[in-house]
Amino acid sequence: MSDEPTPARSASHLEFKATLLLILLLVLVGGAALYLSYARGAFESTQRLVLIADDSEGVGVGMDMTFAGFPVGRVRHIELGPDGNARILVDVALKDAHWLRQSSVFAIQRGVVGNTSIRAFTGILTDPPLPDGAERTVLRGDATAEVPHLMAEARQLLQNLNAMTTSDSALSATLANVQSFTDKLKGPGGAMGALVGSDADAKKLITALDRTNTLLARLDGLAAKADTQVFGNDGLVRDARTTVTQLNAMLLDARASLKQVDAVLAEAKAVGANVNAATTDLGALRTDVETSLRNVDGLIIELNRKWPFKRDTELKLP
Amino acid sequence: MSTLRNLQDAVGDIGRDSFRSSLDWGVSWWHVVHAGALVMVLALSPSTYTRSVRAASARHVYLGTAPMLPWFALLSALASVVIIRIVVVTALSYGLSQYALEMVIRVLVLELIPLTAALFVALRATVPAGGELSALHASGALHAQEKAGADPLRHELLPRVVAGMFAVQLLAAVSCVIAMVLAYFAVYGFSVGGLSGFTRVLGQIFNPGVSMIFALKTLFFGLAVALIPVAAFLRGPQSAVAPGARASRELDSLVRLFTAILVIEVVSLVGNYY
Repeated sequence: MSDEPTPARSASHLEFKATLLLILLLVLVGGAALYLSYARGAFESTQRLVLIADDSEGVGVGMDMTFAGFPVGRVRHIELGPDGNARILVDVALKDAHWLRQSSVFAIQRGVVGNTSIRAFTGILTDPPLPDGAERTVLRGDATAEVPHLMAEARQLLQNLNAMTTSDSALSATLANVQSFTDKLKGPGGAMGALVGSDADAKKLITALDRTNTLLARLDGLAAKADTQVFGNDGLVRDARTTVTQLNAMLLDARASLKQVDAVLAEAKAVGANVNAATTDLGALRTDVETSLRNVDGLIIELNRKWPFKRDTELKLP
Repeated sequence: MSTLRNLQDAVGDIGRDSFRSSLDWGVSWWHVVHAGALVMVLALSPSTYTRSVRAASARHVYLGTAPMLPWFALLSALASVVIIRIVVVTALSYGLSQYALEMVIRVLVLELIPLTAALFVALRATVPAGGELSALHASGALHAQEKAGADPLRHELLPRVVAGMFAVQLLAAVSCVIAMVLAYFAVYGFSVGGLSGFTRVLGQIFNPGVSMIFALKTLFFGLAVALIPVAAFLRGPQSAVAPGARASRELDSLVRLFTAILVIEVVSLVGNYY
């Protein structure tokens, strides 16, 4: 107040400045409210997309749905559907809706650190666009959800390994057997002893082999003798060949005999034909005889009628 | 026997003192609530705003806010730059840079700046205003005004309370905007390419619940800061008899103010994060 203005002027100045401050506050608050409304998508036209997930854990209202890393939609509401699945209602800005097609796939991904994110993937951008209010089942790509499963499987694996490597396990018993097997291999019986179990058995086997060799030598001699017997000058094969020659001669004789029998049969057939003709002539003869007999009978009947000593053949009752 | 009696007297004094102090505490809170109700009624009545009251309000609003606005904006900008840098660098070193902006906004804009603005206004404006009011009361100037036909509640109390509330809101708003601009530059550099991402993050942070809690918190900070120091004035002239008693009264109102701010902050944190 160095220039000492009049109180009325000072008051009106102060009032003006206070009004300016008030306007500044209103502009700041109103601008912030408008900007935040814009930031929350109050002024953009959207279309609705319903994502159906079996578990909506980590998904919150206001969360972004990204396509290729760019936010294209925003979770507006999450509700539990009548079938027990979570329904995530997403508002997709109309200007970005063309990225979503009917063949688009949606996934909820949850990292080990940080937020859950909803991602959209579109393989074929020429497919028909996603209609308003479309419902899609969402896939879960959850890094942490796999961890308990992985741990359980790893534990199972370790238990199996433990069971395999304990002192009374099958594997260690097998290894012990292998050990004793290799010991036997190194022993006096060698691989034979290892195979048959004991050295005594191995010796028996060797003895058996020796005897087999002897037997084979004798069999060899036997085979040579048999060869002489069968294929020698007085062998079985030569005799057999002679027998076969004789058999051939006998067969030729038999064939000649059969031809003669054939001729006999032809003659018998001719005799049969003659007999047949005679039988036919006999029929005619019989007919003639029958006719002659019938004539004789008629003649006798005629004689009897004409004869004076006709007898009365009629019977009369008293 | 006399020792025993002395002991009994001492114990009785302690009991009486503690009872009296708790009664005092309750009465002082009652005065705060009473002053709040009075000021609210006056502030919401159009008939209050006569020309003289408007002039007094404008004077207090301007003088209570304008001198400290640049300083506070500068100080809060400096503090914001430091905190933003620390948060961004730390987040980067942990590979969590995508969460740096959200953390900066939540820490600075939602929590620290309104709190700092309230404390700054309390220490620079409303506590001195309360003392000034008590001094006026003690010197009998208010009685003189009353006798002259003016209402000291309208001309002295209401403008100071309105100025205090206004100062908290304006300082908080300006500093929040500055902090957001600084956070944008710290995270995205001097380019407008990150504006859509920044807008999106802000949209995610300021959901309706958080926005409402933020607005209510700032409003209640303003109310507490503006009302509690000047409410001492309503406790009657006996409070200002001895200078020592007056000093303790001011300290008392300061403690009460901090308690109220703490309670509001805790309630807002519970509302935001539980």
